[in-house]
Amino acid sequence: MVDRIRWRAGAGTALTAVLSMAALTACGSGDSGDDGTLTMVVWGGDVDKQTYQERVDLLEAENPDIKIDLQLIPSDQYEQKVQTMIAGGDGPDIMQVAENVNSYSSKNQLVPLDEYVESSGLDLEQRFGPVGDLYSYEDQTYAIPDRSGAMIVYYNKDLFDAAGVEYPTAEWTQEDAQAAMERLTIPGEQWGYGGAGWWAQWWSFAYQNGGQIVDDSGRPTVNSPEVVEALQWANDLTHVHHVVPTAAEYADMGPDMGGDPAFAAGKVAMNTTGFWAIGGLIESDVNWGIAPMWGGEQQAVSAFGSGLAVTRDAENPEQAFEAIDFLTDAPAQEIIIDNAQDVPANLEVQQSDAFLQPEWAPEGLNMGAFGESSEFIFRAPFIPEWNEMQATFDDNLGEFWNEGGDAQAELDEIQTQLESIIQ
Amino acid sequence: MSNVVDEAPGAAREPRRAGRRRTRLSRRGRKEAFYFWLFISPWLIGFVGFLLGPMVASVYISLTEWDSFTPPQWVGLDNYTRALTEDPVFWKSLWNTFYYALISVPLGLIVGVWLANLLNKRVRGRKLFRTLIYLPTLVPLVATAMVFKMVLAPSGPLNDLLGLFGLDGPEWLLSATWIKPALIVLSVWGAGAATVLLLSAMNGIPRELYEAAEIDGAGAWRQFWSVTFPQITPIIFFNLIMGLIGAFQIFSQVYILAPNNNVGGPDNASQMMVTLLFQEAFSFYHFGYASAIAWLLFIVILVFTVIAFRTARKWVFYETEVR
Amino acid sequence: MAIAPQAAAPGPAAEADRKGRRDDGDAAKRTLSAFKASPATYAVLIVVSALLFVPFVLMVSISLASDQTSAENAFTIIPGEFEWSNFADVFTATGLPVGRFVLNSVLIATLSAVGQVLSSSLVGYAFARLRAPGKGVMFMIVLATMMIPAQITMIPQFLLFKELGWVNTYLPLIVPNFFSNAFNVFLVRQFVSRLPSELDEAAQVDGLGYFGVYRRIILPMMWPILTAIAIFTLTFAWGDFMGPLIYLNSEESMPLALGLQYMTSTSNAMQLPPWNLVMVGSIILTLPMIAIYYLGQKYLYEMNLQGGSAGVK
Repeated sequence: MVDRIRWRAGAGTALTAVLSMAALTACGSGDSGDDGTLTMVVWGGDVDKQTYQERVDLLEAENPDIKIDLQLIPSDQYEQKVQTMIAGGDGPDIMQVAENVNSYSSKNQLVPLDEYVESSGLDLEQRFGPVGDLYSYEDQTYAIPDRSGAMIVYYNKDLFDAAGVEYPTAEWTQEDAQAAMERLTIPGEQWGYGGAGWWAQWWSFAYQNGGQIVDDSGRPTVNSPEVVEALQWANDLTHVHHVVPTAAEYADMGPDMGGDPAFAAGKVAMNTTGFWAIGGLIESDVNWGIAPMWGGEQQAVSAFGSGLAVTRDAENPEQAFEAIDFLTDAPAQEIIIDNAQDVPANLEVQQSDAFLQPEWAPEGLNMGAFGESSEFIFRAPFIPEWNEMQATFDDNLGEFWNEGGDAQAELDEIQTQLESIIQ
Repeated sequence: MSNVVDEAPGAAREPRRAGRRRTRLSRRGRKEAFYFWLFISPWLIGFVGFLLGPMVASVYISLTEWDSFTPPQWVGLDNYTRALTEDPVFWKSLWNTFYYALISVPLGLIVGVWLANLLNKRVRGRKLFRTLIYLPTLVPLVATAMVFKMVLAPSGPLNDLLGLFGLDGPEWLLSATWIKPALIVLSVWGAGAATVLLLSAMNGIPRELYEAAEIDGAGAWRQFWSVTFPQITPIIFFNLIMGLIGAFQIFSQVYILAPNNNVGGPDNASQMMVTLLFQEAFSFYHFGYASAIAWLLFIVILVFTVIAFRTARKWVFYETEVR
Repeated sequence: MAIAPQAAAPGPAAEADRKGRRDDGDAAKRTLSAFKASPATYAVLIVVSALLFVPFVLMVSISLASDQTSAENAFTIIPGEFEWSNFADVFTATGLPVGRFVLNSVLIATLSAVGQVLSSSLVGYAFARLRAPGKGVMFMIVLATMMIPAQITMIPQFLLFKELGWVNTYLPLIVPNFFSNAFNVFLVRQFVSRLPSELDEAAQVDGLGYFGVYRRIILPMMWPILTAIAIFTLTFAWGDFMGPLIYLNSEESMPLALGLQYMTSTSNAMQLPPWNLVMVGSIILTLPMIAIYYLGQKYLYEMNLQGGSAGVK
């Protein structure tokens, strides 16, 4: 009997401990809504956390009536966590959005911001240039651009000098680029280019050819001659011209190998990617430079970025917009470049010395490449079915990228599938 | 004469038998039944409180079209018919899941029993060996992913090893044919996890049984088959059932190994049931369809579990014939 | 009977064997052939453990790589660099409260394990030993709960815990463990059904009730399996980041596994995480579990069941 009592007492103690601990954590953080604190969710890693927090701190210092609870969510789980929050009726007030923005706006989960934009006197065109209306859906604005930078060409100066090839410029054509890649390739050892297997890369070629992934009326057009030619070229660079490492060659170089780390290791002479590669390159021994993307029939390049949106669950959308307005204004945007996080969407900051000559940049780095590129950024189709569209490409092109093949056949199949996905 | 195995899976026959038995319950039987329900009440309360509701909800969701944001639209059995008749990816992922489960589970069991039997011998440094063999279970997934991408590279260590035997190793993760075998390799790497339970069961075998066998002149091999194996069949059976349920729900392994975070892998060759439903639910916002896939998977697992229980009475040995 | 062993295995070896049984510490104790370790046994164990250890070596190798090697993904299996400062950087450079994370992990994992051990032993015992109408159906339901992928009940479950006001507390992560789970119930049931029933029958004749049999007879024999359950639950709760991700919002309340997830996170899909720091995080996450397993073995395997278990002590 004594044993039993002791046993029960033990269980009781444990339960009490659970409850008290739970109570402790509940107090730990202010729940949004009740006290007017705005919940803001963003994704990313350490640099992102630090940068967003500094911007929020500045916002709170200048606007004492606004309180923001910033939550950084690991990128891989961002969509799932936000979806769970919203489905649970407990969505954030401000959320970061990107290519997938319209899966939220089309399902009525974001607040249209036009009337707030108007009453605040914010001129999107003036502040952000052509990307000002990037996040609009059915003629309504659902997010304000926050970070936005074109894809650029990274090149290894030493390898170019050794091969006697001129550095890349925006005036290059696809043929010029290929000729340079061929001269920069040493079979089995060094490759001219990092590859174009990612949507942002080969879609740029398609738009350079005058093609479109989804046309202006919203119909998929991925098997048009222009797109087929672009995809075939991107693939032939690997499997016909051998100026890009194959998937197998990449896998042998290291885990998760791709254009970015191979460029940092000096194995590929050119690589097309976003701003983020700079962070790793500053650490590396590579003597590198950047240039705007080459062109084709016309100039076109993709851009990466994200915006800030107000969700349906926001109790005070007006104040949430006020916060976004401040965060995308020059003083708060400068922090983005000071931390070498990304390209700020704010044009004024992009053209300022803070951006063109940042402290952390190596001597003579052509930061103007980003501004120059913004002239010819193409508008990627931010359809509500963005994720499904990407999965359709990935599912069908797996073997094609790894082993080579016929772009026309693949894109015909993808076209059929996209037609049933995109309504 | 029924033992536990007989009783548990016989859900179909249970009502008739239970009914007959109920009329015969003595006072002692009623008391025993009362204690049974009392003792399982922690589980029962947890089930009703935390799980039953969400399960019923997911049945309802599977009969609707729901993007998880706006109110669901009732569509009846449409999601089920779509999966079974219209969606080629569903059938492909079902085949992939079968392929994976039906090879990795038996293979893992054999390796697990084999390793446990070695560890149960009188070896020096046994604690260290046991820890090393259990180690793969403890390594976080993100680290496992890195390691396996290196090991499975076309000119990586595994293919070097195969090369020693004159075999030309495949491109594993890059090939639609070899990505499923690569996932099986990963599962066998973690087979040491099973040794915990197997060893703990082996440790409980009375020494007298071995001594009797020794007297009969049985060698190590025969002692294993006549003493060790029958005695650990309940735990092997446990590992079989759990292995099946787990393998049919394979998810994170695919997620971490598939190149470029594309769960489907090359041409959907590694698309599994749960990766498919996860993609549908959290990437495409088709929660109704995802729930239908979940319940179809439930039926598949249920069928295999029942088959396993039916065959169990032929080979699982219980010390006690539970009354 | 007494003559038989002499005949089958004559000579001093058999003598030593029989003596050894009585005197456990006797160095001359003979090993039964089922437990004899041949050189082949060692060879296989060494090869297998070496293979399984390779990943860990690789983790250490990556964790000691410089930032440059990390940016190039140019890792080697055997460590080529020794940037010990990485181990300090994880705590300082990331700005994450790693110490706090560890504390949270310990709390969640320990309470979860306590809950599972307490509840599963009782429920599993009932399924193994007690007889009641409807037991077969109940057991099938226990198993069936595992057959529904957790991903699909996640959102309804979130709604439920939100109604209870448990979001942003540890309750959704801990409390369900006090109601046992199917895996552990099945495990205990399998283990208990292998135990001889003479003891509890005798105890019942002596007037011990059902709870008494559980408490006095079965529970003491269950320790190895309860240790296993404790280790499994600890390992699972320690490594789980999905539950904490969904239910916890404030950084101070997050466990280490979720913290590690932040280290691997990047602001763009094509960006590379700092692999060297990620591996430092992985090692910090793994070491406590290795220690627990190494030490826990004593209770798992080296317990003397029924006074005469066969496994080598």
